[in-house]
This record gives sequence, C-alpha cells and structure tokens, in this order.
Amino acid sequence: MASERPLLISTTPGASTTDDGPSPHPPAASLLPPAQPEPPLRADRLAFSVEVPDPFRPSRRGDGPFDDPSAASQREREVGDDDSRGVVVGEPSPEFAGNAIRTAKYSVLTFLPRNIFEQFRRLSYVYFLVITVLNQLPQVAVFGRGASVLPLAFVLFVTAVKDAYEDFRRHRSDRQENNRLASVLAPGTAGDFQPKRWKHIRVGDVVRVASSETLPADMVLLATSDPTGVAHVQTVNLDGETNLKTRYAKQETQVRFSQNGGVGSILHCERPNRNIYGFQANLEIDGKRVSLGPSNIVLRGCELKNTTWAIGVVVYAGKETKVMLNSSGAPSKRSRLETQLNRETVILSIMLIGMCTTASVLAGIWLLNHRGVLEFTQFFREKDYTTGKNYNYYGVGMQIFITFLMAVIVYQVIIPISLYISMELVRLGQAYFMGADKDLYDESSRSKFQCRALNINEDLGQIRYVFSDKTGTLTENKMLFQCASIRGVDYSSSKDTGGYSVVVGDHLWTPKMAVKTDPQLVKLLRDSGKNEEAKLVLDFFLALAACNTIVPLVLDTRDQKQKLIDYQGESPDEQALAYAAASYGVVLVERTSGYIVIDVLGDRQSDRKRMSVIVGCPDRTIKLYVKGADSSIFGITNKASELDTIHATEAHLHKYSSLGLRTLVVGMRELSQSEFEEWQLAYENASTAVLGRGNLLRSVAANIECNIHILGATGIEDKLQDGVPEAIESLREADIKVWILTGDKQETAISIGYSCKLLTNDMMQIVINNNSKESCQRSLVEALATIKKLRAASSNGTLGPVLTSETSSVTIALIVDGNSLVYILETELQEELFKLATECAVVLCCRVAPLQKAGIVALIKNRTDDMTLAIGDGANDVSMIQMADVGVGISGQEGRQAVMASDFSMGQFRFLVPLLLVHGHWNYQRMSYMILYNFYKNATFVLVLFWYVLYTAFTLTTAITEWSSLLYTVLYTSLPTIVVGILDKDLSKATLLGYPKLYGSGQREEKYNLNLFVFNMLEALWQSLVVFYLPYFAYKRSTIDMSSLGDLWALAPVIVVNMQLAMDIIRWNWIIHAFVWGTIAATTICLFVIDSIWILPGYG
Amino acid sequence: VVSVFFIVGVIFVPVGVVSLLAARDVVEIIDRYDEACVPGNMTNNKLAYIQNETISKVCIRNLTITKAMKQPIFVYYELDNFYQNHRRYVKSRNDAQLRDRRKANQTSACEPEKTTANGQPIVPCGLIAWSLFNDTYSFTRGSENLTVDKKDISWKSDREHKFGKDVYPSNFQNGALKGGATLEPTIPLSEQEDLIVWMRTAALPTFRKLYGRIYFDLKVNDTITVRLNNNYNTYSFGGKKKLVLSTATWLGGKNDFLGFAYLIVGGLCIFLAFAFTLLYFIKPRLVTFNSSLLQSAWKVISCVLDIHVTF
Repeated sequence: MASERPLLISTTPGASTTDDGPSPHPPAASLLPPAQPEPPLRADRLAFSVEVPDPFRPSRRGDGPFDDPSAASQREREVGDDDSRGVVVGEPSPEFAGNAIRTAKYSVLTFLPRNIFEQFRRLSYVYFLVITVLNQLPQVAVFGRGASVLPLAFVLFVTAVKDAYEDFRRHRSDRQENNRLASVLAPGTAGDFQPKRWKHIRVGDVVRVASSETLPADMVLLATSDPTGVAHVQTVNLDGETNLKTRYAKQETQVRFSQNGGVGSILHCERPNRNIYGFQANLEIDGKRVSLGPSNIVLRGCELKNTTWAIGVVVYAGKETKVMLNSSGAPSKRSRLETQLNRETVILSIMLIGMCTTASVLAGIWLLNHRGVLEFTQFFREKDYTTGKNYNYYGVGMQIFITFLMAVIVYQVIIPISLYISMELVRLGQAYFMGADKDLYDESSRSKFQCRALNINEDLGQIRYVFSDKTGTLTENKMLFQCASIRGVDYSSSKDTGGYSVVVGDHLWTPKMAVKTDPQLVKLLRDSGKNEEAKLVLDFFLALAACNTIVPLVLDTRDQKQKLIDYQGESPDEQALAYAAASYGVVLVERTSGYIVIDVLGDRQSDRKRMSVIVGCPDRTIKLYVKGADSSIFGITNKASELDTIHATEAHLHKYSSLGLRTLVVGMRELSQSEFEEWQLAYENASTAVLGRGNLLRSVAANIECNIHILGATGIEDKLQDGVPEAIESLREADIKVWILTGDKQETAISIGYSCKLLTNDMMQIVINNNSKESCQRSLVEALATIKKLRAASSNGTLGPVLTSETSSVTIALIVDGNSLVYILETELQEELFKLATECAVVLCCRVAPLQKAGIVALIKNRTDDMTLAIGDGANDVSMIQMADVGVGISGQEGRQAVMASDFSMGQFRFLVPLLLVHGHWNYQRMSYMILYNFYKNATFVLVLFWYVLYTAFTLTTAITEWSSLLYTVLYTSLPTIVVGILDKDLSKATLLGYPKLYGSGQREEKYNLNLFVFNMLEALWQSLVVFYLPYFAYKRSTIDMSSLGDLWALAPVIVVNMQLAMDIIRWNWIIHAFVWGTIAATTICLFVIDSIWILPGYG
Repeated sequence: VVSVFFIVGVIFVPVGVVSLLAARDVVEIIDRYDEACVPGNMTNNKLAYIQNETISKVCIRNLTITKAMKQPIFVYYELDNFYQNHRRYVKSRNDAQLRDRRKANQTSACEPEKTTANGQPIVPCGLIAWSLFNDTYSFTRGSENLTVDKKDISWKSDREHKFGKDVYPSNFQNGALKGGATLEPTIPLSEQEDLIVWMRTAALPTFRKLYGRIYFDLKVNDTITVRLNNNYNTYSFGGKKKLVLSTATWLGGKNDFLGFAYLIVGGLCIFLAFAFTLLYFIKPRLVTFNSSLLQSAWKVISCVLDIHVTF
C-alpha cells in the first residue's frame, strides 16, 4: 500500500543570481507522504520547493503554480452510507450536535443530588453513612445525634464546596469558549462572512479562519489563501507536537470556491470518532466524487499558522469534535499500597465482626443468666411502671441483635476512615516537598517537578521496571551537527560559532541556531569556485540544505531589523543539517511552491532508506542530490571510479558511529538535460499510472539514482541529556530494569543504548527482527533455548563460589523491532516474549508505534506484580504513560501532551534517580508506616473500649466520653502521623543515592506486608491490655467514677501511641517535636475542657 | 539505650518501694454483711426478706480493729456485681433537671423513671437517682458514739455546679416499686450529698462509695459496734455489700498494685541495662538498637506515669 505521491513541479529558474562562484540555484524539493494510516504519528509529509540562495546574498521570493499535492493520496475506500453522515456544504444542519461545549459536570439544579451521588461512590463514605444512620435508631443510638452526623457532614460539605468551585471555573471557561467569535458564511450568500458565536456554529457551516486563529470545530478545508490549497496548522493543543502540519484543500473545491463561494456540494464523512489521525470522507462536487483523507481536515483546537486564511466546512461540532472526544482524561490510578490496604481492611472488618459478635453473644448470655431478676435489679429494671410495659427490652434474641449493631457503632473506628483523609494530606505534603526539591528542578527549562496525580506518590518506591522513551527523554531531542566527511576528508574540529545572516531588503535574517563550524571548511567554502574541492564542499552543503522537508519560518525579534529563521520540520536530523548548512553559509530561506524541480519519491525512513532531490540550478545544470543511510547509498554509487573516497568515507562513518553519532551519507549526480527530460517523462507516466503506481515510481527513481558520486557523510550527535548514563547505572544498581521503547530504527536505538551505557560490549545481544509470525516464533524459541543453554553452561561449568558471579556475568540484551512486535503482541507469542524479556537484563524495542509501547508495558504489568513506570515526553508516549502504574512526563520540547497525561512531570530524565531512590523510598516508607500505625493506633483504642465492655455487663457503655472517642482519631492522634508521614526520613538523601540497593526494600514490600500488619495488631493487643488493665487493677475497688477512669483510658492510649510514634521516628525536627508533644498536651487540655463543660456528664 | 533503661530503673524502683510502703501503711477493715444480716430462717429466700417491709432490717455488726487507725477514718460502702456502668442505667438521668429548677420538666433520657403515673415529672428523675443506696450505718465504741461526718463527701464541683441549690426533690420514690432511698423534699439537691455521691456513677462493677468520715483515732483491739439498716436490695442479682473502714495516705487507698508495677518495671529496666552492658562486653556486635524491647518498656513506663499524673 505504498502509494507515494510524487509530484511534478514546473521548472522555473531561480530568482537570484550569484556573484561569486557557480553556486547552484533555487532548487526545489518535494516529497510526499506515503499516506499510510499507521503509524498514526507524523503521517503526512510536506510538499515544498526550496530556494537556496547564494550564501551571502539576499534573495527574492518566487511564486509559481503548484499542483494539488494531495490528489491521489487516500485509501480509496468508499465511505459506506450506513455509517456516514451527509453534510451539505454551506447549509447548517440542526441534525447534528451543535458547537457548544460543556465540560462542567453540574448545573445549579443537579448539583446537590449529583454531587452527593458522586461522593458516595467512595465505599468508605457509604460505611460512614451506614454507621451514622444506624446511630439514628433510638434503640441503637450510641453517640448523640449531632456528634455522629457531624464528621460525615463536614467531609461531605468540604468536598462539595471544592467540587462546586471547580465546576464554577469549568462553567466560566465553557462560557468563554462558547462565546468566542468566528466568521461564518451567511447561508445563501457567496463570500459574505458574518461573525458568529462558536456555540451557534453548526455542522455544514462554512467558516473562515485567519492566521493565528483557533479553529472552532473540525472542518474539511475548502480553500486557503495559498493558490495550491495548502494550509499549515499547529496541533499543539491536540497532540502536543509543536511543528507545523500541512493540510490541503482539494483542488476542486479550491477552484470552485474562487468562483462561487464553494457551496452546494455534498460531503459524506464517517461518524465522529476519537482517531485524531484518521478521517475518511468523500465530496460530491459537480457530479464528481472526490475522496478526502486526514490531510484535508483541520481539527478544533488547532491554530492556523503561516496561512493568511483558510475556509472550511464544519463536519464535526462541539462534543463530537475529535479533541473533545479525546479529552476524557487519564484513567485514575490507585496506588499499590492503597490496593493492598483493602486486604487489611477486610481483616479488620472480620476482627470488627468478631468483636461485635463476642460482645453481643456475651450480652445474651448475661441476660439469660439474669432472666428472672432483671425487674428488681436496680441498674436494669425491665419495666416502666408508668406504662407497665417493658422499657427498651425486647427479649434476649432482639437484645443480642441490638447489641451487635451498637457494637458496630462503638468499634467502627477500628477501620480507620480518617486514614484516607490522612493519606490525602500526607500525599499533598509529600508532593509539596518533592516539588520543592532543588534536585528535581530543571534550571535550563525552568520546569519544576510536578505531582499531577496525587494518589500514587508511594508507588514511586516500588518500581521494578522503567520503560523509557528515547527521543526527548534520554536524549535532548536536539540533533547537533558534529562532523562531516567530504570527499574522504574528515572535518571534525568544530570550533567557531559561525553566525551567518542573510540580508533581505533592510532586514537581517539569522538562523535561530548556530552550529559550531570548522574553520577549515568555512575557508574552503568562501573560496568556492577556485577549485574543484571547494565546489564539492558547496555541493555537499547544498545537498544538506535542499534535500529535506524543512519549512523555514521567519520569526520577528525585538530588533526590528533582525529576524530569526526557525527551521520547522518533522525530522530533527534534517533540522540539524539545515542549521549546519546555514551556519556554513548555505541558508535555506524559503520554501514555497515556486521553484523548479521534481522530486524522486522519497521518504528516508521508508524501505528505500534514502531520499533524493533533483535540483535545477540557475546555470541550467541539473543535479540530483541523494541522502540516506550508508548501506543504501553505497549500493548505488559509482564504485569503480571512487574507491578511495568510499573507503575513506566508510572509515569515517565507522568512526562517527562508534562515537554514538547518527550518520548519513550524501551523494550527488549531475544530470544532463536529456537524461532529465527522459526521467521526467517516465516519472509523469509512472505517477499517472493506475496500476502499480508505487512500484513504477520506485523503479523510475531507482533508474535515476545510480552512478552517484559520494559527496561525503555527516555525523549528527543525538545529544544525551545530562547525566543519563549515570542515572541508568543507578537505576540498574537499584535492581530496576530499564527498557527503552523508541520509534527510532534499530541502529540508532542500539547506538543510543551504547552511549547511555545500557548496552555494554560484554553483553550478548539477541535481535528479534522478523517479518512473519512463524519466523518470530522461531527466533523467540531459539533465543530462549540459547539463554537456557547459557545459564546451564555457566552454572554447570563453574562450581563453588565463582558460581554467582559467573551467572550474573552472562547478561543478555534483547532487541526487538516494531515489525516483530506486530506479530508478537496480542497473540500467544506474548508469553514467549515475556519469558525471554524477563531473562534479559536489557530490552530495547525499536520502531514501536505508540500503542505497541502501551502493549509492552501491559505485557509486564499484567503478568507480574511488579510495578512499572513509563517515562516519555511526546504525544506518542501518552498511551504508555497511562498504561504504566506510574507515568512520568518529561516537560521537554515535544509539547505538553505527555505531561498532561502523566502522573508526575519533570524536566530531565536523570531526575528519575532522586525521584525514585530518594523520594520514592521515603514516600513508600512513610506511607507504609503511616498506614500500619493508623491501624495500630485505632486498634489499640478500640481494644481498650472492648476490654471495658467486659466489665459493663456487655452493654457497650464507653467510659470514654463520646467526644473523646470522636476526637481520638481526629485530633488526639492524627496530626503527628500526618506530620511524620510528610517529614520523617529513614535514611539521608546522600545514603540513598550512594547505595541504590537500598531501594530494594520497596520492591520487596518490606515496609508493608501482612506480617507487619499482624505484628502491629499484636502490639495493639498487648498495649491495649496494658493500657486497660494497669488502671483497672490500680482502681479496682475504689471510689473512682466513670468519667475519671474514662479520661485515664482516653489519655493513656494517646500517650502510648504517640510514644510509639516517637520511638519510630527516625529523624526528628522541631516540627515533629512540636506536633508529637503538642498533641499530648492538646489531648490533656481537651480532656480538661470537656470535663469542665457543665452539660456533659463527665463534668468535674 | 542502656543508660535510658538504667535511669528509668533507678527512678522507678524507689518510687515503687515508696508507694508500696505507703499502701502497706493503710489500714483497712472490710466487713461483708449482706449474707450475715439475713435472719437465719430466711437465708433461702433473701428476696422475700428484703422486699418485706414489715421485717426489721436493723443489723448489728462488731468489728475488731487489728491495727491502730488514725483519723480521719473513711467509711465506705462497697457494692459488688452492681453495674452502675450498665448502658441502660448510666444514661437514665437528666443533668439539666438536676441543675436548674425551671427545667424540672426536662425528663428526657430518664426512662423508665421519668414521670409519675399521672404525668408529673420526677425530680430527680432516672434510674440512677431512683436506685439510691439506702443502707445506713452508725458506729459506737463501747458507749462512745463515733459520729459519722457526712459533710463534704461529694465533689465540691458537683455540689456547686451540677446540683442546684434551689432544686428540691418532688414525686421521688412515689412509684410502685421503690428502688432505694427516699429524699427529704425540703432539702435542696445540692445538699443531698449521698445522692450526689451516688450519681457520680462508678466505672467498674465492684466499687466503693464514700459514706462519711469518722474523726476519732482507733486503737488496736478496739471493738466497734456497727448498727446498720440493711435496706438495699442486692439479693435479686446476687450482689455483695461490704462496709469498709480505711485510713488514707497521700497515695490514696490500700492498693499494692501500683507499687508492684513500679517495682517490676524498674527492676526489669535495671536488669536489662545490666544485661545489655554485659552483652556489650562479651559480644559488642550483638547489642544494636533493640527498639522493640525499649518500646515495650517505654509503654509500661508511660502508662504507669500516666496513672500517677491523674492522681
């Protein structure tokens, strides 16, 4: 399905002339997307011509006719009638959703019921509610009504206020968005555009958008200011990519619009869906059927750039637009600890039921034993003599039941509801301190660490797998031109910072980025024309400047006279080369449809692995420039004549790639006029052929791409971010497996693997790179067998103490390629891959599509209990970030899409080390401790209550006043745990960073597990016994009254559990001191205050 | 760590010794009379005995002083198996009514002793007041009358704030079943100290309540005659009644428990301190921060301390 779309562009001589030297002139290049539906990102290429002006001269722009480039691009699949919608261009249809959007959840009327419903979806609230309702039954009431309703009401109220405020803000932004103005074609007129509010735009409206305006809805382009129908849009809001994308209006509509306003045609398009990169429609115009694809639609939220105006017809509006369909937000994640906590909650519930049953059964037995005497027992007195009936006594069976319910109310605290609130607060605090950590602050991009998800902080301490994107994450995504080899001569000594500018009119245009240049080369260039060598050097740079898909953007600077040229392109390599060429004086200034030349189809990344541009120069020479991977270029060179050059270049290439540089080879061939014409003819034939167009074009291209002279090679540094190798080393020491998932090709991935020390020379590499399911299976099985053999050999071969070191020395690196993954993921081969991958120390996946990234994460996540972390920076990492247990976004160059989807965002990859090893460890340790401590402290208190019940004829009297019971969890004991949960540090930062092995405690769940829980419960048991029975024996047979002893029993557990906390605190600081001791003091004061309120029975 | 143990031990052992000695100094005479006061012919039917108002409940008990007792001597009655902390019971009162004359009608929570049959509010209402203890004691040594001072047996704050000076009993004990003592309707509640003492409900089913004080020194082998009215019905639920005469020290009553607790904890601490020191010299590496032991010790310590604080 490789239907490349080459295009033919009329050959117009360049506008500028040259003074010094026969510099070739405005060439043009163009290439087009192989319009594949998958992979979705960067689906379309741009069609452009280029002007390379004289290096040191101003240039003029030119214009020329330009064919509609998107003519034949789409999958010619008819949009079926059933699943399509018909849109009459220019006739707003009320049938489809309007353009008003609504992100707010509630309206004034629905707020109360809906919000309360939403809140009660949390199970703990329901538990809370049931208890509160139970307490309202007069027979069961334990606490006063007010006291029991208050906490729940308070929590509900606070949350409701928060939700209301958030919703109010959403309402406001909705209103702003809905009331923005767009100019819409008044129905029935031609060219009469009226301002209209966004919310009133309907499907079928024809909308006109000016440059830098935001698109109000998803529209099919009808016409643009460019005569060829090109429009550029920035999709940063949609997928986070900052580069410009090109969209086309169909030539048919473009023409028609200029005649009569373009109305009257009918458009059939597919139903609204979330796929940002797919669109299928056809347009019936003048009886013809024109098919439309993703390159014809512009989406809501995008901005029009570099195009004066564009006109389109709305096809999806409002909530049916792709951006709205995609804005469902990240799935909410729950932390591992929180999930595990459920297990303990169940155990506690069983304990609760056990205690309640015990109490109620004992109460029943007591009643049975005293059955006959209850009437005359002063403290019971069954009957109410004024009515003659039993008072509050319903027989033993019922009494047991009622006691059970009451026991549930009294002992409810054993399930620490407040724990959830404490956890939220602790996470908030932890997030603050993570954000405030200077080690996580990126100076260069001024990006602070951000906790975007506030409920998985502690998961950072348990990560076992890190899935990393490469570009922008490990590397800076800044390609730097490092060295060049031209005609077998290596120019690597880059020293000067060459700043070259072009004078246009009275403006000075400077490339945005200057590249260090080799003075020798610069000298050569300046002397160009004097000798053959210099000419070749110039050719070399011309090839670099021309043979690409870069769009130069001219930006204003503060200085009126100064303008910056920003090279926008989809390939950072090409950007680097264009900047390099610019620095050497070959400045790409403008690329419009005006110039010359024909393109030999070429996407460098396709199977051809090279790209060519044919350039017609002003001096009537026609040159073919080729750029590509070494293997493909050397195959088409004129071997016999330039063996030396080839050898030298190859040597340099080897040298560059061993330095971790990305290499490209550049070649050139001069075409004679007849050759060109011959080719042009063949090309035209091929591109209009109906059958086998792709193959024909390919062969045409192959015919002309021969006898290439090697111009040279370039080395581009894919600059690693600071500290990446060290960071990876630390992570691996911490027993975290680092997998790299990249969209790059295999060679690049491996070279990056080496440069970031993930791969080393003593590793055995297993490469899985197959094109069919069978071969995949075969290589997987083979690889597994090899590993088995290796393991067996190493364990059999050496016995004794050497054994361990020997086995660990056989490290295996697995390299899988995206093609193979197609056959492996989602099939039964997954299992094999999983086995293989877990055996390997390093896994590199190259050429993976975004969804495959998520698939690989899921491969691990679904099969093991290990925690996974995905880190990436681009829109293509979003799926993986959302899939992993923890998603980290790098706020880098590729927009904010990854950041928006992530749970944490930061500026640099290396921050992962302090984030996991230090903060993750701390967070996990503190949170685990806090949860266990909360279980323990509540259990202690409840057990004290329980022991007392044994001495009250099992009637659930609490000596502790109800206020103290309520305040115990809220005030007496909660604040210190929160503070400790935020501030305590078991080990110093330096230790944790110095000994990454320490991270293992989280991976092995050492700080929170069933044993620790049981241990804590036993501790609660014995401490509650001490707390209860010490006063019990001390005051047995004394005059002590209930409230005094109750105060003692309230104060003692507070002191004991706070003491326990104090024992467990590892690093004290004044805040912790203040809270721990302050709490004990506050408790004492509270008890005094409660006792001195006259209304309460405890008064004294 | 070792030093902490040592310090705690050094402090606790003397404290334990002192409080133990203090507890030993307390002289306590306990006399259980509920069984003994039932006439021999009615031991099989105690309930009938106590419910029959025609039988005299007067009972004479002779007590011999085993150790000299210095004044003031506290007179307590001790009830056993009486659940003043029973949920039904403990709730059955209305504090507003007790405090304020105008709130006499507030009898909520007082069931089943709320109003009279014709709807008049009972003051003081509720089971607690209704079940007011009504045994009485008077003491003689030979012919000498040992008067019992019944003033100031209740908490001062109770008298001043919880029981109103102008609240008088009304409709009290007029029901079909009398639970206990009647109250003199002319005396305000704030001066009904037996009621005030009774209404400060006990925390545990075995409890003592102060009956009064005797300001006489008693010598060894003195015989005191107690004339008591055995009115209160504990026979229905098998509760014991005891009369307690006790001297007091700064520590409170006669209870060895605290002293022992201090001694044991203190001793344990010193033992551990020595054990650790010894271990340290034998195998230095073994002695690390043994936090769990220390914690346990701490907990006991803090608990004990805590009890003392509230004294």
